[in-house]
Amino acid sequence: MDIAERAAYVRDDVRREQRGPLMPRSKRHAIHLAAALAFATADGIAADAPPASGGAWQMLRTHFYGNREFGEVDEAFMHVEAPNATPDPSATPVSLRFGKDAIGKVRQVRVIIDNNPSPVVATLDVGAGQPIAEIDFRVRVDRATNVRAIAETTDGKLEMRSAWVRAEGGCSAPPTSSGEGKTGDVRFRPGDDGKSLQVGIRHPNYSGFQIDPKTGDPIPPHYVSQVTLMSAGKPLLAIESGISISENPTFRIVSEQPIATPVTLEASDSKDAHFSATWNGGASKSVAAAGGMR
Amino acid sequence: MHRGVGLALALASACGAASATTTFDVREVAKGVFVHEGRTVALDAPGHDDIANLGFVLGARCVAVIDTGGSVRTGRALRDAIAQHTKLPICYVVNTHVHVDHVLGNAAFRNAKPKFVGNATLAAAIESSRRYFVEHYPDDFDAPASADQIIGPDTTVASTRELDLGGRTLQLRAWPKAHTDSDLSVEVPDAGVLFAGDLLFIDRVPALDGSAKGWLAAIDALARTNAKIVVPGHGPVSHEPATAFAPERRYLQALIDGVRKEIAEGKPIDDATVHVGQSEKALWPLFDTANAHNVSRVYQELEWE
Repeated sequence: MDIAERAAYVRDDVRREQRGPLMPRSKRHAIHLAAALAFATADGIAADAPPASGGAWQMLRTHFYGNREFGEVDEAFMHVEAPNATPDPSATPVSLRFGKDAIGKVRQVRVIIDNNPSPVVATLDVGAGQPIAEIDFRVRVDRATNVRAIAETTDGKLEMRSAWVRAEGGCSAPPTSSGEGKTGDVRFRPGDDGKSLQVGIRHPNYSGFQIDPKTGDPIPPHYVSQVTLMSAGKPLLAIESGISISENPTFRIVSEQPIATPVTLEASDSKDAHFSATWNGGASKSVAAAGGMR
Repeated sequence: MHRGVGLALALASACGAASATTTFDVREVAKGVFVHEGRTVALDAPGHDDIANLGFVLGARCVAVIDTGGSVRTGRALRDAIAQHTKLPICYVVNTHVHVDHVLGNAAFRNAKPKFVGNATLAAAIESSRRYFVEHYPDDFDAPASADQIIGPDTTVASTRELDLGGRTLQLRAWPKAHTDSDLSVEVPDAGVLFAGDLLFIDRVPALDGSAKGWLAAIDALARTNAKIVVPGHGPVSHEPATAFAPERRYLQALIDGVRKEIAEGKPIDDATVHVGQSEKALWPLFDTANAHNVSRVYQELEWE
């Protein structure tokens, strides 16, 4: 296979979730590059375009934002926090912190890990008027890379920040499968002051780059693709996510004000399973997987 | 305690790859039971391929090797050391778990045609790790590095198994997920020696890739051993089995207690990696390289309790 064919092959796996990239082990090193390319081609960029040096960012920038300009100076507006040397490449914590001028004025944040096989980590749509000060989540980091966040404000400006993370092998690390519970279980964990809420969804979130020990071939990708959180009937945060989100996808929101209840979660995954759960306030709540699963 | 280690380190920086063969010490801790103590250096430091404790046990008929080191050249150094003590054939190579510093030397024993023995889960764990080992430790293979130099088990242990060396029996025990998901301990009952593998770290901060709760359960079972001598996976051989596991147990319990508190308070994982375990910091060499990783793993284990 040439690289374009391989890219298409991997794209089919990532986009249609049919089967793993069943190629000989010796060729797997090519997947990362191919998949980076595949992501772009799947969204309409020419399949034979060479990948930009230093990762997929230039291609993705053009694809998502055209020639629009970015503000890149003011750390007080938004800050991306991630460990410079991650203690856990398959679960690297990332925090997006919003400053005074950003709170309530950010419409959307897109998170990109330049050197991951599937660089677009997530697109986060912030509910109108929600005074969100921080969004935290965990990502797989495959090798040393920039982790970028591009915020689009309600008045159409773009602000980009990034953090440099050193890591090795986060996308291919074996599943931990630690702890109890089954796919689709949801945990709500509020902070003491009611202004923060962590939501976790039990899900393997297979990256497509982990090896099935029984066959030696990659486990096909299977990941949470959509998460919608509503607070007292109003949109709080809507997340479109991919394989760079860690096993058991977990998101934490910190608000300037107490998070109004009930908070409902609706999620779906790449095999079209659906999960939902509601938190009515009070202490941590665990919601067992129910309904909608195939 | 660490006689020869200083010299070994000095030579390691002077001679690079050759050091493993020029300074490879083994010590007879009980009759016919030999141990090589690995070095307390970081995973990416010179000498990182010789950080694990390795051993071999002589029977009347043949020899069993317990772990083979973090490179093919360390495996060869062990093989050469064995040859200085016995002409008996090597009939078993036992791996205590999947980690690179314990298994990569297996290739040095291939020509001896032993049975390779591990936890029933080890084959799968090695399969999952092949690519990672080749990509991240290429210099620790024979050039060119290739996945076929990583030898998994052909003989497996689901719960317990005995290996007969002729006049001497090894008792193997497979453990549920603990330090890793492929842990195995080896006891030499007639010599009163327990090889705990990485279920026991002494004077090196424990590294968690399995289950903290499972590891505590394994420790509590192992600490009841009748053995007089315990060989940890890392650190000096202990002649006080009753207390050998205590520091590691205290550390793991501190992680579990600390992480449970963070989770209950709604603190995110990155806060936990900064806060938890700090009371242990001064007590463990190489603390910073592993503690945050351990906390991250414990957090992910306990948040779904």
